[in-house]
Amino acid sequence: MRKLAVLLATAGLLVATAPAALAYEPVNVVHTEKVQAGPYAVTVGFSAWPVRAMQSLDFTFAVDGGIAGKSGSIVFLPAADPREAWDEPLARHPRQREVWGLDVRAMDEPGDYAMRFLIDGPAGPGVGELADLHVLDQPGPPLGLSWAVSSLPLVGLVVFLVLAWRRTKGRLIT
Amino acid sequence: MAITASRARGLPAAVVLLTGTVFSLIGLTWDVQWHSDVGPDTFFTLPHLFLYAGSAISGLAALTAVLATTAAHRAGAVPDPSLGGPPIRVFGRAFTAPLGYLVAGCGAASFLLYGLWDQWWHGLYGFDAVIDSPPHIGLLLSISATLVGTVVVFGAADEHRWGRIGALVSLAVLGAFDTVIVFAFKSLNGQVNAMHVAMAALMVLVLACATAFTRYGGVLMALGLAVIQAVTWWFSPWASRVYAEAVGLPMRDYAGQEPQLPALIPMSLVVVALLVHPLLTSRSRWAAPLAGAIAGGLLAGLQRPQSSWVFDGPLPPLQRVLLTALVGAVVGLVAAPAGRRFGRMLRLAGDRTPERN
Repeated sequence: MRKLAVLLATAGLLVATAPAALAYEPVNVVHTEKVQAGPYAVTVGFSAWPVRAMQSLDFTFAVDGGIAGKSGSIVFLPAADPREAWDEPLARHPRQREVWGLDVRAMDEPGDYAMRFLIDGPAGPGVGELADLHVLDQPGPPLGLSWAVSSLPLVGLVVFLVLAWRRTKGRLIT
Repeated sequence: MAITASRARGLPAAVVLLTGTVFSLIGLTWDVQWHSDVGPDTFFTLPHLFLYAGSAISGLAALTAVLATTAAHRAGAVPDPSLGGPPIRVFGRAFTAPLGYLVAGCGAASFLLYGLWDQWWHGLYGFDAVIDSPPHIGLLLSISATLVGTVVVFGAADEHRWGRIGALVSLAVLGAFDTVIVFAFKSLNGQVNAMHVAMAALMVLVLACATAFTRYGGVLMALGLAVIQAVTWWFSPWASRVYAEAVGLPMRDYAGQEPQLPALIPMSLVVVALLVHPLLTSRSRWAAPLAGAIAGGLLAGLQRPQSSWVFDGPLPPLQRVLLTALVGAVVGLVAAPAGRRFGRMLRLAGDRTPERN
């Protein structure tokens, strides 16, 4: 009876707290930078600062006067190797639709980056750059150690297959 | 023909186990699509619940089978290897676990542990930006272990038609699910596309295993994988769109809605399976490596044209595609004999003759 009461209480707590767990977190900008892309003033927001490699964050790109009637793209240029640059269209942030943004994004590698904005709108095209976005080293344990821990099920599978291989030797139907 | 009671022994638990793995596959393909087309994430999204439920269902099926076997063994019954595989004594001989259920259950338990590590990872790195984070790969490998266990459980019942069909279906689910693990090779991409080579190796392994397990097994498994690809091709974008509407979330700007995970499964697999079938079933010593080389080369080389077609992207230089195909052929050369051996081992899973130790 007591066990049943504990079970029911746990289930009740789970149901009661589910709405909070289901809620999608709003974008919480903790740092901003200003970029002038031709006639367009852009406020770049970061939900984590400083930016660290592999640590995900939300980027927001708010244009003075709003994003309606405007379009464009963003180019990330790694200072170490500009040939590794990548670009993507400026899309509305899924959790803050009135601005452009990138949701739950992480920079894979530490180092210096430039963010180049190419914007087109009623005032014509404009280009601007946020230079010197410094991405710090990744937090946490070395990546090699993390991968070693993650590979344990694979090691287990390989050991299982090797054992099965050896134990069935000589009994195989060919 | 109706399945008689003695023939159906072991079928219910095996079906529940397989159902759990199908839940995992549905959750995975849906979740990947959700991130691509919609975005916002919590612990309790429906695709996540499918993933958790999948491992829970498989884990409980495995636990039940182990406890039932242990109880029967303690009551004096001789364990039947066709019910889940050869019996293994574990925890100081306290339990008698059929091999397939033991492997599947270990995978489900490992899923729980990696889930805890994933939570810790979120605290340090924020919500996941990528599918191929180390804890995710740990979680996906754990589910793969459950899938391998499911293959063994059905393989042990190969004297029954349901056992042979179930093993091929489980192998197809394994092949479809593990397409996601090739993402872990992304960081190794260079002149050679390591992801495409890994995909070719995986497909050659399951193809050779299925061919060696039962008659026309490779071709039938490839057909099963094609059915999974077709169903998830429709399902994952549809489910993401409907779920987003239901919870009042908008689709991303520029969301192409191309099926993400199903697009990774090689579309040429059925043709490749038919092509190498005579070689894979030949008794010649060099036939299996040759089949593997042909299949590996074709599968690795065709991956990039396939993704360029699906995602409307440019083709890379021909030299890169050929180099990837060449490495795929070398890997296939090794994978096919290994897969064939696994298929033959699988035929022994339900064998009642005593093992030679």
